[in-house]
Amino acid sequence: MNTREYIDSLFSDYQKTSALEDFKEELKSFLDERIRTLVKGGMDEKDAFEKATSELGDISAVADEISRKKKQELIGEMYLKTTHYMSTWRIALYVLCGAVFGFGVIVAAISEYFSGDVNAPLGSLLVFGGIPILVFLFLWLTQETATREAMEWKRALLYVVTAGVFLFGVFVFLVTYFEKSAGLPYAIATLIPFVLPSSAFGVFLILTEKDRSKPWVIKQREEYMKRSLERFGDPVQEMRFGLFSAALWIAGIAAFILLTILFGFKFSWLAIVAALIGQMLILATFTKSH
Amino acid sequence: MEPKLSSDLLRGHTDTIVLAMLMKGDRYGLEIYHQILARTGEQYELKVDTLYSSYKRLEKGGYITSYWGDETQGARRKYYRITDKGRELYRQNLLNWEFTQKILNKLLKEEDE
Repeated sequence: MNTREYIDSLFSDYQKTSALEDFKEELKSFLDERIRTLVKGGMDEKDAFEKATSELGDISAVADEISRKKKQELIGEMYLKTTHYMSTWRIALYVLCGAVFGFGVIVAAISEYFSGDVNAPLGSLLVFGGIPILVFLFLWLTQETATREAMEWKRALLYVVTAGVFLFGVFVFLVTYFEKSAGLPYAIATLIPFVLPSSAFGVFLILTEKDRSKPWVIKQREEYMKRSLERFGDPVQEMRFGLFSAALWIAGIAAFILLTILFGFKFSWLAIVAALIGQMLILATFTKSH
Repeated sequence: MEPKLSSDLLRGHTDTIVLAMLMKGDRYGLEIYHQILARTGEQYELKVDTLYSSYKRLEKGGYITSYWGDETQGARRKYYRITDKGRELYRQNLLNWEFTQKILNKLLKEEDE
């Protein structure tokens, strides 16, 4: 092994920065000359190499100061590197959808102001808000990222249709709710043809979903599981934590629905906030104290 | 009894040793290393990582600067130069050491020679 290869192998875990390259260059010149000096002193080439490299100590610790990016941190960075997987037409579509969505929101706000009618902004939101959301969903599902593989486009389309029916259902619900001659009971009835079946099918799709995570993510997750096990102490505790949380959220959502019917949205959202606070408290109770 | 060199004690003064080596002029990395080995009679097992973390630390703090030499033949060398701030630190550290040495002697010397 020559000194170049030796030094490269020492710093292979570090990201290439100009400062690190500079340091490697300096270290190579140091090592080469040190070996030459030792050889001049009567040592043979191989022994000199051995001695010179053993004198280095933990030289990679110096690299930590120069280039703090070790492999571990690079993995963290990979989560953010999605643009790497985006083709130009995808980026164009993302931007276009964002623009259309923004346009929809603006038009909705204006029409609300000028017409004073709730239906006008809702209609604008359905067309200019709903369609970009669906296209976003399709793009997001079929997007390969650093952490997961892309979904097959046919399956993604199923999701989009389901979400479309769901959104339409929400729209119909809202329109009926604000319609003076209809009101809440009618609005709830409209949930049956649209929101209910689409939710059911959506749940079916989600439950039959394959894990599309990339291998390194799966590995990370296993490590996380191990850590969370340490955090909760034992699996029984973790199960109890799950049950408590589930009970809390069932109660929270029930309270939300009940409060909505009794007092309207104005107060019912507080139930969700209360549930969130409860969740934090449960987590705090179950986390092992150190 | 044979006296032995306390490498730990020396290691605590690496920064000052490096600054001392640079007081008389610019030197390159290996030159400083060789000089320290020579002055300690090869008794001090100085590791290169100790030396280089000291260079990097001093450079970061603005006590020394570095530049690539323009050797026409052979490998290029990186030279270090002490700054005014570095000289000041050296003098202060030297004062501290002389003072500490006196105290340490008072504390350690129980038997009169």
